[in-house]
Amino acid sequence: MSSAQIEIQLIASLVAIACAIPGTFLVLRKMAMISDAISHSILPGIVVGFFITQDLNSPLLILLAALTGIITVVLVEYIQKTGLVKEDTAIGLVFPILFSIGVIMIAKNANDVHLDVDAVLLGELAFAPFDRLIVSGIDVGPKSLWIIGSILIITIGLLFAFFKELKISTFDAGLAASLGFSPAVIHYGLMSVSSITTVGAFDAVGAILVVALMISPAATAYLLTNNLKRMLIYAICFGVFSAISGYWLAHWLDASISGSITTMLGLLFLAVYLFAPNKGVIAVMYREKQQRTEVSLLTFLLHLKNHTEERERHVNHLNEHINWQKVRSKTVLDLALKNNMIKFDKNIVSLTEKGEDFTSQAIDYIITNEDAQIEDMKDDFFLFRG
Amino acid sequence: MSKQIAVKVDDLTVAYNYKPVLWDIDLEIPEGVLMAIVGPNGAGKSTLIKSILGILKPIAGSVSIYDKPYEKQRQLVAYVPQKGSVDWDFPTTALDVVMMGTYGSLGWIKRPGQKQKKAALEALEKVGMLPFKGRQISQLSGGQQQRIFLARALVQNASIYFMDEPFQGVDATTEIAIINILKELRKAGKTVIVVHHDLQTVPEYFDWVTFLNVKKIATGPVKDIFNDDNLTKTYGINYKVSIQE
Ligand SMILES: Nc1ncnc2c1ncn2[C@@H]1O[C@H](COP(=O)(O)OP(=O)(O)OP(=O)(O)O)[C@@H](O)[C@H]1O
Ligand SMILES: [Mg+2]
Repeated sequence: MSSAQIEIQLIASLVAIACAIPGTFLVLRKMAMISDAISHSILPGIVVGFFITQDLNSPLLILLAALTGIITVVLVEYIQKTGLVKEDTAIGLVFPILFSIGVIMIAKNANDVHLDVDAVLLGELAFAPFDRLIVSGIDVGPKSLWIIGSILIITIGLLFAFFKELKISTFDAGLAASLGFSPAVIHYGLMSVSSITTVGAFDAVGAILVVALMISPAATAYLLTNNLKRMLIYAICFGVFSAISGYWLAHWLDASISGSITTMLGLLFLAVYLFAPNKGVIAVMYREKQQRTEVSLLTFLLHLKNHTEERERHVNHLNEHINWQKVRSKTVLDLALKNNMIKFDKNIVSLTEKGEDFTSQAIDYIITNEDAQIEDMKDDFFLFRG
Repeated sequence: MSKQIAVKVDDLTVAYNYKPVLWDIDLEIPEGVLMAIVGPNGAGKSTLIKSILGILKPIAGSVSIYDKPYEKQRQLVAYVPQKGSVDWDFPTTALDVVMMGTYGSLGWIKRPGQKQKKAALEALEKVGMLPFKGRQISQLSGGQQQRIFLARALVQNASIYFMDEPFQGVDATTEIAIINILKELRKAGKTVIVVHHDLQTVPEYFDWVTFLNVKKIATGPVKDIFNDDNLTKTYGINYKVSIQE
């Protein structure tokens, strides 16, 4: 690997981490679309900043552009507050207008501005290593690496300091407000971080990839865990994994790096969506099938418990009586046998002691919903896992 | 009466988008009562609580808690929001939600530690939810979620408790468990204010009541003012509730 290749992967990974952190909270706040809005509406901010500084990597430009991001959020909220339109409509009204203003500004000054819309939307990670930061004659690395690195450090610092505040105001804004943690302060704090990250990252990876890196890893992580800290860590890992594997995919296909990273994000989401152990589509289907069998098992055991007369418990009779197809009956009988819940005596089926216990316990649970007593059964039976 | 006033509301008017939903409310809640706020859907019950707790900003009027503005008295007040106001799919556990009750006393930046965890476990125990401490909150039943909210308020160890429909969607057993805890709080000298919908149980559960429908209709001891006249004024239709002694 050449040093340029390493630098590109490093930049992409840092961008992924810096995006995953605010992205997790945006997803949990159901504000994914706001990141899309911010990523587009910063364009006029970037253009104005560029007129003033003539340098796409200037901190002043980043702050000016981030300010446009905040203005977007304020405008969206203002329009929404009138009660005339819903939030998604308000977003759809605001950001195309701001974006268009940026486009017109670029077009009007095309001659003296070295800036084009494509670059803003798609970025060009491959060129990032060429724009170096030179401090008193010494090359200290690509400028975008320094920019995104600084933003990342600030983001992580804020996350550690305000994790509890972010959590409570995201989960229950009312309680947060009543305890004195102003949800508005946290909301605008999060919006500012999202805006600054978007601006800091767009030059390297483009506005569209920024949105993908904020939302997709968080959405993927959400399918895998019920713990906020773990969700953050997973989101960061997925972001970095997609960044690096996407880079190599682009290398191999000779295609756009941003596009390849976004593709990897999509594939990763698809894989988790299908195969996640609890919320994944396949796991849910398996669980439902298993639960169906277990309900049948319970029905069968209950039948045995309720009927002492041998006639009712003869193997042949069971088929027609409980009215199942052959296959189903066999699955259920096998399951009961495997768990030592029934025994055969000359084709007469009866409950074992374990079967008796299990049946009464299960019925108890179904009636009372008292969870505590069946905790130990959860490992073996889906029925009890809610 | 020589009792201290725990909560005082003066000329409170609150609006959403410039449309007032509470008009000129005056209210004094004496210390140590177990008070029901009753009124039809959309009467502004939740809005009243949110305004008292500084969650909403009123367009006129003021609120005081033991003679001081709410901002100075946060530590004295605990809040149970309406259950539907939060996202139960949020990635967190029952214990973690209860711990949130301790955040107020911690203030900004400081993290909860062992002491807070112990308090949360005790509160879970009190509402009978200890076996569920590690359960993801979406996997709790409606009544269990309500108990978690109650535990979160208990952990705040406040003097005044505001609860928005704590009996919403709970079965008889849970309802009795909750009301017993509320009565215990009153016995300990706390003031408990509950938005309540089941008019039949008002005389049995509460000793104080406020009728609300955009305006305050009446407030006072249940035995004096919980009558058909006030119910009719509040609900607009001719209401008949038999009051047992
Ligand atoms: N965020 C909001 N924006 C606009 N209007 C609102 C908002 N919240 C409540 N309202 C309106 O304010 C009025 C009072 O609402 P509030 O929630 O206080 O009623 P409530 O008495 O608690 O009703 P419920 O018994 O249904 O909980 C209603 O007309 C409602 O439509
Ligand atoms: Mg309400």
